[in-house]
Amino acid sequence: MVATADPRARASMDEAPIRNRSSRAELLRGGACAAGLALAGVTGVGLPGVVGAAPSPAQDERVLNLLLMVEYAEVGFYEAALRGGTLSGELESFAEIVAEHERAHLAVVREALGSAAEPEPRHDFAAATGDPDAFADAAGRLEDLAVAAYNGQAANVTPKAFAAAARIVSVEARHAAWIRSIGDRPPAPDATDQPKSAAEVREGLRKLGLQL
Amino acid sequence: MSELDLAALDRDGALEEARDGLSRAGFLGTLAATGTGALLALADDAGAAPLRRSDVEVLNYALSLEYLQAAFYTEAERSKALSKRAAEAARVVGAVERAHVKAFSSLLGRKAIARPRFDFQGVTEDSGDFIKTAVAFEDLAVAAYKGQAAKLKSGAVLASAIGIHTVEARHAAWMRYLTGVQPAASAFDEPQTRAEINQVVKATGFVSSAPRTSARRSPRYTG
Repeated sequence: MVATADPRARASMDEAPIRNRSSRAELLRGGACAAGLALAGVTGVGLPGVVGAAPSPAQDERVLNLLLMVEYAEVGFYEAALRGGTLSGELESFAEIVAEHERAHLAVVREALGSAAEPEPRHDFAAATGDPDAFADAAGRLEDLAVAAYNGQAANVTPKAFAAAARIVSVEARHAAWIRSIGDRPPAPDATDQPKSAAEVREGLRKLGLQL
Repeated sequence: MSELDLAALDRDGALEEARDGLSRAGFLGTLAATGTGALLALADDAGAAPLRRSDVEVLNYALSLEYLQAAFYTEAERSKALSKRAAEAARVVGAVERAHVKAFSSLLGRKAIARPRFDFQGVTEDSGDFIKTAVAFEDLAVAAYKGQAAKLKSGAVLASAIGIHTVEARHAAWMRYLTGVQPAASAFDEPQTRAEINQVVKATGFVSSAPRTSARRSPRYTG
């Protein structure tokens, strides 16, 4: 990811897939957050993940630029797959519909960032879109990654950014379940979708072919 | 069918107070992946301070929707009347919804509302009816969670709970796929208010009695 961000804040975001809107002091005091920490135990979300800086417009910018990379990857991936011409039938119509959705998501995230939007990275999705099986596998991984990326930042952003992301993330989850259904894989394998940190998301995007 | 329904759960009139706080519209969520006893016990940790009343309200609302879904899938699974694919979906999704119920209940402790009585009027005994109802429930759950998230005051609860919202969306897409409806009908999922959700639930007639609650305030009808 092209960085304009404060590296210390970046490191903090990388370590904290899920953070608290409350202050660190409030967390340490316990208070209402103790129940939330107990819930964290229930969900398997680690305690270190709930300690971090409060949301701010600057942090929104970093988070939205991460999500922008996710959307760049999705648009690039589906467009590459459709251009490649190896898809047919159910997979092809899935790719066409989802590509349209991802273009709409990209537009929303980019608009939210305005001039702070980072440029589109180069990508190479040749391996991920080389044949229908590779496409279906990569699409499943990409959509699961998108869900984990959005979920991982949900508590890090201001209400405005949260509202924009919330309309998108459940559609990513629908895509994930859809492509998994086509491939006869479990559409919803877990009781809760685990978040991923920014670093994990970037690594996942790199593996799929985005050149970050 | 009694006159009571999920609208009765809007005890504090949170709907009215909610819209001014705007806009963390989105992930409400909640929890509980594994459902193991040891982890759930953490929710009852004696050291835990009470949840804020407004968060109790939101969590109880989510619990009510999870009760509805868990009861629906459990009854469908027990009916032994469904096709293989529908029965498999009922079994897997039912286990997840029961885990959600367990996690919400544990978090809320004594403040958790009791389970309402349900009457699914036979839709759990026909594969077509079952899947259509499941689609409606899951789409509703996605919109409901998204509509309630703005009210959650505890960042820790929100942060720990977001993952359930997307699991409901996965279920929605799964059920839609099973019945041949486009799993992701549009590029964006919109939130729905509690009043809108309650209206839909009430129209089904599936809730045959309101739960009793240990809350001190008496029910206030807003639906």
